[in-house]
Amino acid sequence: MTQLRRRVSWSILALLTGALALGVAVTMSLDADTPEHEVEHRPIAVDGDGYVSSQTCQACHPAQYETWHSSFHRTMTQVATPDSVRADFDDVVVDAVAGAPMRLERRGDEFWAEFDDPGWEGPANERQRITRQVVMITGSHYQNIYWYATGHDRALNVLPAVFLLEDQRWAPRSAVVLSPPHQGVATLDGHWNAICIACHTTHGKTQFDTPYRSEPIASQAVGTTVSEFGIACESCHGPADAHVAANQSPWRRYTLHLSGEPDPTIVEPTTLDPARSSQVCGHCHSVWEFYDVADERAANTDGLPYRPGDALNDSRFVAQPTANGTTPEMRALINADPDFVRGSFWSDGLVRVSGREYNGLIDSPCFQNATTPERTLSCFSCHTMHQTVEDPQSVDAWAATHQVSVGMDSDGACTQCHAEVATNLSAHTNHDTDSTGSRCYNCHMPYTSYGLMRAIRSHTITSPSVQESVEVGRPNACNLCHLDRTLAWSGEYLREWYDLPIPPLDNNKQTVAASVLWLLKGDAGQRAVTAWSYGWRPAQTASGTSWMVPYLGELLGDPYDTVRYIAARALQTVPGYEGLNYDFVGNRDERLATAVDVLTTWRNGTQSRARRDPQLLFNADGILDTAAMRRLFDERDRRLLFLRE
Amino acid sequence: MATPTSSTDYVARHLRFGWWSLFVFLLLGLTLETMHGFKIGFYLDVSNTTRRLMWTLAHAHGALLALIHIIAALVLQAFPQIATAQRSVVSGTLIGASVLLPGGFFLSGVSFYSGDPGFGIALVPVGAMCLAVAVFQLARASAGVITRTHGDMAVAQRATSATGKSTKRSGH
Repeated sequence: MTQLRRRVSWSILALLTGALALGVAVTMSLDADTPEHEVEHRPIAVDGDGYVSSQTCQACHPAQYETWHSSFHRTMTQVATPDSVRADFDDVVVDAVAGAPMRLERRGDEFWAEFDDPGWEGPANERQRITRQVVMITGSHYQNIYWYATGHDRALNVLPAVFLLEDQRWAPRSAVVLSPPHQGVATLDGHWNAICIACHTTHGKTQFDTPYRSEPIASQAVGTTVSEFGIACESCHGPADAHVAANQSPWRRYTLHLSGEPDPTIVEPTTLDPARSSQVCGHCHSVWEFYDVADERAANTDGLPYRPGDALNDSRFVAQPTANGTTPEMRALINADPDFVRGSFWSDGLVRVSGREYNGLIDSPCFQNATTPERTLSCFSCHTMHQTVEDPQSVDAWAATHQVSVGMDSDGACTQCHAEVATNLSAHTNHDTDSTGSRCYNCHMPYTSYGLMRAIRSHTITSPSVQESVEVGRPNACNLCHLDRTLAWSGEYLREWYDLPIPPLDNNKQTVAASVLWLLKGDAGQRAVTAWSYGWRPAQTASGTSWMVPYLGELLGDPYDTVRYIAARALQTVPGYEGLNYDFVGNRDERLATAVDVLTTWRNGTQSRARRDPQLLFNADGILDTAAMRRLFDERDRRLLFLRE
Repeated sequence: MATPTSSTDYVARHLRFGWWSLFVFLLLGLTLETMHGFKIGFYLDVSNTTRRLMWTLAHAHGALLALIHIIAALVLQAFPQIATAQRSVVSGTLIGASVLLPGGFFLSGVSFYSGDPGFGIALVPVGAMCLAVAVFQLARASAGVITRTHGDMAVAQRATSATGKSTKRSGH
């Protein structure tokens, strides 16, 4: 009897164990994604080379992890998932592409697109369609750029349209960069693997078996891996496996806590000297190239050799025309690409595109002329990669406003060194203390750089100069705010206030508002940043808005897509034009019709008579001198321009 | 607090300590809940994750130990024959654990180093050792008492079967 009872007990136990095992197996099979190492059609994230990933860092540094996790650095590159994809893929047809419309489709948690084959070499009217899975995303702040698996190993290519997050609309890939009309931008298989990976991932390894573009990609092996998608902890702190291993010991950790000494097993960028700490940012935020093909091939196999704390120039050539414009390295780059300098720099060598702020920093007197580390400008003088507890704003707000440190979003950024100015600000600025004209960065970091379909602040600290505007063409801070004033007007004030000489000015520069000259005569880059300033609230307050309409209306017909986009956005901030319905990449006739409508509405309204300033090309009766406009338009700098942001 | 001498003194001590301790940690729990309710960053911000964990642990350990004091008091009352020396060790280490464990957790959350608790955490292993000693002693003493009780009952049963009467009845 006892034996029978024992057998029954064992049987029940075996049944329960079996049921439990089955339940676990079913649950795991339902929840599990494909393990990363088994993914074959896109680059994969792997550990190794001393990199341990942010998940490991999180355990001991939860606050730092959280602030990084909320940043756009993390989401610079993401695998396409229902959580990361911001565009609607649910049976959507996208017309905003060259050729036939792109069709988007959800297949469960996967995202698919059907579009014209960018590699098609046959007749245009017979262009083949291809259907590809979208597997990767670049950007999450202003744009989502979607990458699809090409089917050649892990090589990716880009969808023909980009999703603009603010506008919640698609736009052709070529229309979201400032590029010459109708030229398009390169969409080559493997572009992400070879180019983007360097700065948009942590420890990316391209791993082409032969140099990129040395042969058709279909015959190449592409085994791209990264340590982590996006810019993660170890991009700035270096590989952390030694740090993790050493700090398994509580004795070591608490000894360091007590002593306050830095941990030698990890790099803390803020404790490096200003030059080296800024290079940690500069290893991505700069215009750079490999010194030679051998370096490029080594990086292809092993990843970029730069580690935080290293001297940046040891492993790469940072292009700085003001300092190394005549070096063999620069000459080689210009030989290979005659527009290399013009695409990123003003003619005086100062950087003019976004994402390359390190170039701006190292050309700044606050960096070059500083006498002590404490008074040397670095990226961390104004920015912090981890929001501090003193910061009252939400972590998302902090991330969305470029991770500026507490108090550094205003004069504090400058007065931490230039305290003497703060004691009597208006004596220095000659503007009311509380006015935007007295904010340091409005004069010393004006919006003269271009990127992401907007103007951004120059990160080269300069002082307003009419001479620079005349010689280089870079808009000066005075006239980017006082849009209705001439260069001569600014020159007079700069002479009176700061004893700056007035350079020789031709008749136009003496009699026509500088912003009007830049809009009508300037190159596409000048037009873009000036049009953006037309929508900048402080400039509108200083200059009025009623007179802007014909000029912004003129730009609605600009040949550059991004200039049209910026002009339309600016026009929508002008009272009466908030509801402007304008598609910057729509049908050309419709665009021109909208521009005519804008001008007609303006002419028929009271706004058109509000200003009678000759420098704005209005005569004494308030009539716009269209002949003068045409004359200046005919003098436009029409050299093709591609700004490499 | 006067040094207890009798079993009753120990029972009273642990009942008193247990209930007051439970009250204190109930108040701590109430405070933590209030900080949740009003979303107090000092407690809830991600930068204060370590503080939140440590104070939660302080609350949990304090409340649980308070209940152990009450249970210990009931055990001591149920088994007055536990040796005085054992009672003294159990009582002392149990009180030590009740101070050091939650106290250590609480202090280590006041000031801390990112993911590492503050130096108060050093009190925690000492408290844990005290608790281990107390529980071990209590287990050992309880086992001894039960063995003795069972032994007494066996003697009584043998006596009953020899006389045909129960020991208790033979007293009548």
